[in-house]
Amino acid sequence: MAEAILEVSGLVKHYPLTRGILFKKQIGAVRAVDGVDFELAAGETLGIVGESGCGKSTVARMLVNLEKPTDGTIKYKGEDITKLSGRALKAVRRNIQMVFQDPYTSLNPRMTVGDIIGEPYEIHPEVAPKGDRRRRVQDLLDVVGLNPEYINRYPHQFSGGQRQRIGIARGLALRPEIIVADEPVSALDVSVQAQVINLMERLQDEFDLSYVFIAHDLSIVRHISDRVGVMYLGRIVETGRDAEIYDHPTHPYTQALLSAVPVPDPEARERRERIILAGDVPSPANIPSGCRFRTRCWKAQERCAREVPPLAVPEEFRFVEGPAAHDSACHFAEEKRVVPPEEPPEQAT
Amino acid sequence: MLLEVRDLHVEFRTRDGVAKAVNGVDYGVDEGETLAVLGESGSGKSVTAQAVMGILDMPPGRITGGEILFQGRDLLKLKEDERRKVRGAEMAMIFQDALSSLNPVLSVGDQLGEMFTVHRGMSRKDARAKAIELMDRVRIPAAADRVRDYPHQFSGGMRQRIMIAMALALEPALIIADEPTTALDVTVQAQVMDLLAELQRELDMGLILITHDLGVVADVADRIAVMYAGRIVESAPVHDIYKAPAHPYTKGLLESIPRLDQKGQELYAIKGLPPNLMHIPPGCAFNPRCPMAQDICRTEVPPLFEVDREGVDRAAGDQEAGVRTSACFFWRECLDG
Amino acid sequence: MPEQPPYQREGAIAATGAGGAMDLATSEGATLERTPGGPEGTGPQEKPRSLWSDAWRDLRRNPVFIVSGLLILFLVVISLWPSLIATQNPLKCDLAKAQEGSQPGHPFGFDGQGCDVYTRVVYGTRVSISVGVCATLGVAILGSVLGGLAGFFGGVGDSFLSRITDIFFAIPVVLGGLVLLSVVTSNTIWPVIGFMVLLGWPQISRIARGSVITIKQNDYVQAARALGASNSRLMLRHITPNAVAPVIVVATIALGTYIALEATLSYLGVGLKPPTVSWGIDISSASAYIRTAPHMLLWPAGALAITVLAFIMLGDAVRDALDPKLR
Repeated sequence: MAEAILEVSGLVKHYPLTRGILFKKQIGAVRAVDGVDFELAAGETLGIVGESGCGKSTVARMLVNLEKPTDGTIKYKGEDITKLSGRALKAVRRNIQMVFQDPYTSLNPRMTVGDIIGEPYEIHPEVAPKGDRRRRVQDLLDVVGLNPEYINRYPHQFSGGQRQRIGIARGLALRPEIIVADEPVSALDVSVQAQVINLMERLQDEFDLSYVFIAHDLSIVRHISDRVGVMYLGRIVETGRDAEIYDHPTHPYTQALLSAVPVPDPEARERRERIILAGDVPSPANIPSGCRFRTRCWKAQERCAREVPPLAVPEEFRFVEGPAAHDSACHFAEEKRVVPPEEPPEQAT
Repeated sequence: MLLEVRDLHVEFRTRDGVAKAVNGVDYGVDEGETLAVLGESGSGKSVTAQAVMGILDMPPGRITGGEILFQGRDLLKLKEDERRKVRGAEMAMIFQDALSSLNPVLSVGDQLGEMFTVHRGMSRKDARAKAIELMDRVRIPAAADRVRDYPHQFSGGMRQRIMIAMALALEPALIIADEPTTALDVTVQAQVMDLLAELQRELDMGLILITHDLGVVADVADRIAVMYAGRIVESAPVHDIYKAPAHPYTKGLLESIPRLDQKGQELYAIKGLPPNLMHIPPGCAFNPRCPMAQDICRTEVPPLFEVDREGVDRAAGDQEAGVRTSACFFWRECLDG
Repeated sequence: MPEQPPYQREGAIAATGAGGAMDLATSEGATLERTPGGPEGTGPQEKPRSLWSDAWRDLRRNPVFIVSGLLILFLVVISLWPSLIATQNPLKCDLAKAQEGSQPGHPFGFDGQGCDVYTRVVYGTRVSISVGVCATLGVAILGSVLGGLAGFFGGVGDSFLSRITDIFFAIPVVLGGLVLLSVVTSNTIWPVIGFMVLLGWPQISRIARGSVITIKQNDYVQAARALGASNSRLMLRHITPNAVAPVIVVATIALGTYIALEATLSYLGVGLKPPTVSWGIDISSASAYIRTAPHMLLWPAGALAITVLAFIMLGDAVRDALDPKLR
């Protein structure tokens, strides 16, 4: 693997639950992110999937320093960025940018497109001399597939997909090395999602970007990611290369998640096995002891309530070569193929 | 046919002009059948459903033509109080956002019970018993204990179950579910969808499932109607449409789903954007985005063609599922790939 | 589908607030897209619109705005140059003509001191408008700065400010005025304005705080923070322009109520004092003769009512224009 450009270890974010108006007393904590480790290599796309409330968005916000972690480190090229402030922080921000989920709230409605995409240069004036900015903004519009003449328009004159392109252009303005994309297409129409995914892939090659791609849509994550991490209740429960996770999942939660995804193929529904989980995700303010998935797991035993399973290659697979030998935080990991192998498409287009 | 919508037209009058939201929709659903209406935002799928339910905001909305036949009666000709009797008792709707569809200051038991006290004239005690029975039916654990709880005390999935219970309370003949699982998590989505499908089979209801998700459709629908710019552009039994779409829009949607063998390649993307409903392109509304468009598509509105199924590799068991239609001049070419 | 933020227009249908039409919300500007490999969109070119120009376009078509706007313009002009329509001196009175009714050259008749009611009503505009405008400016500036900062930074300062506003809300305005202003001897309008600012700012502060908190959570503010924008940049460039609309609306409506409050305080004898010409003072002195000479009361009271109404109507029109979803 190429050199790690971003190393996250032991990342924790707890939000205190308090009572009282003027004098607050802590009565507990929402453990939104509860010990997350991963690495991102240069030029790589790491997909993070999970359901709402699993902490994936909080991870994204910590990566771009919008939230300070309660504990843990985020190392960018060996330097821990969680402790930075002032000028040093500003310098790091240039290299890690974010694309937001909702293109309707992520653009200031009172600013023109030119001002929105040009704002990074106003904040970091050393990047582009003043006279050069307008041209750069127009270049960026062109790069993301919008007409450079739209520079004086306001966001509400654009559709969702176009706004997301504007958001991507803003993220690219400072030529960052890492882009953290938090559900970048889930608010878009189905027919427009593919356009934006293609754009992101093209930009990755053109600008040598590394992506942390956060989504709940497993098929899109699989398409764009080199590696995938599955999150549940604030932790990564399984991680590996995309084929390892999708075709050889060993964690029961991943298996359930994959089997629950509706497959746009009416014949596949007859062939595949459905695992329907009981109940709902527990509250992150009240996480089960031991393995946090045990309350919904059909394999749970006494040991699961006692021991927290580590995120490592499970014993069964430790000495086997093969796709099942990847990190999975389960005491009773076993390989199970839940998505039937796809038939070759009838026609190539 | 339990419900038949014929040539329905709906407009919205706004400050900036007239938005033609629904432009001649025809669809029908039988008892025990699930019709999925598939479309993106602005396709008119929800507006059509609201017109059927009679809950369209008028103004700004206006039904400018067509008929909605429910069990043989044209709903658009009924008086408002007759219409109200149909609503709830004979057809019911499930919305996307269960939290805002439930009254936050009434316990779920009261809200479920109200259906029986108002429509069936039951006593409060009997209605409460009925409410518990319904909650059991939609598999809410410990229903008898939770009947006094308020909506916010339930999780998203449980609230959607309560919505389903409410829709089922009077055993309507038709249920319209508007994106019922879109707001839910994937693992909970599967639970709720399964429940809905099972109850529908049990009660032999007609179900109209409105969604943008091709995956959900494939899982539960018998027939699919694909909407674009206020029209049904293709309608077919579910197996046929996935095997061989007969409209370039449907084809584009199916091809833009990431597939395994396309890993690392560019995804197929339908170019351009859905049309502005104030300025729907002349001819076929899809023509500016269509890779197959010819001159005729830019000038003439394509009628609904009947697609004969020769050459379509038909899956076993769906022979009874009715005809296929496509609003494309070149449906043959589309079928052939 | 994500809910759209307030004060933003996306498609005309969404602007009507019809929940049923959310489906259509993204239809606007649909022909602008130019995708790689796709043809250039050929849609009708629309001119750029901002919220303010949109609001202005709305206002110009709104009869309520036109009527109230013209009326207020007229009131402002005569408060600046009362001699334009009133040629006499409001303080030149002839006791012999006290309480006389309408006669040539004196259309509104005379008051208890024999002063010309018409002239006094015209000159009274100046006091009412200046008290209203100054009090509103003071309240708006103080309230939005304090509320805005509290909303932006949160924390202990915010909790503290919230409690303070609660305390101020508990003070009955008229009673507070009676107590506080009765000790003041100054004969200018400033103590009255000061009192109004003191009691009025919590109202605006609450609005500004709520508005800032809502806007602060928007992703575009987070995006600017992720770019490294300073707090002052966030406040001035991103939050203020988006948070100011509700403050303007409430302040405009409040302006009318401050004019009424000035009259009330003057009527009670703790506001302005003669020889200042004020509608409140005139109403007060005329109230004793309401049976015998009602014209002395009706003209200043009518002027007051129309002025207050004009500002409240203006505020309503501005609110409709700035926030179409409230309709």
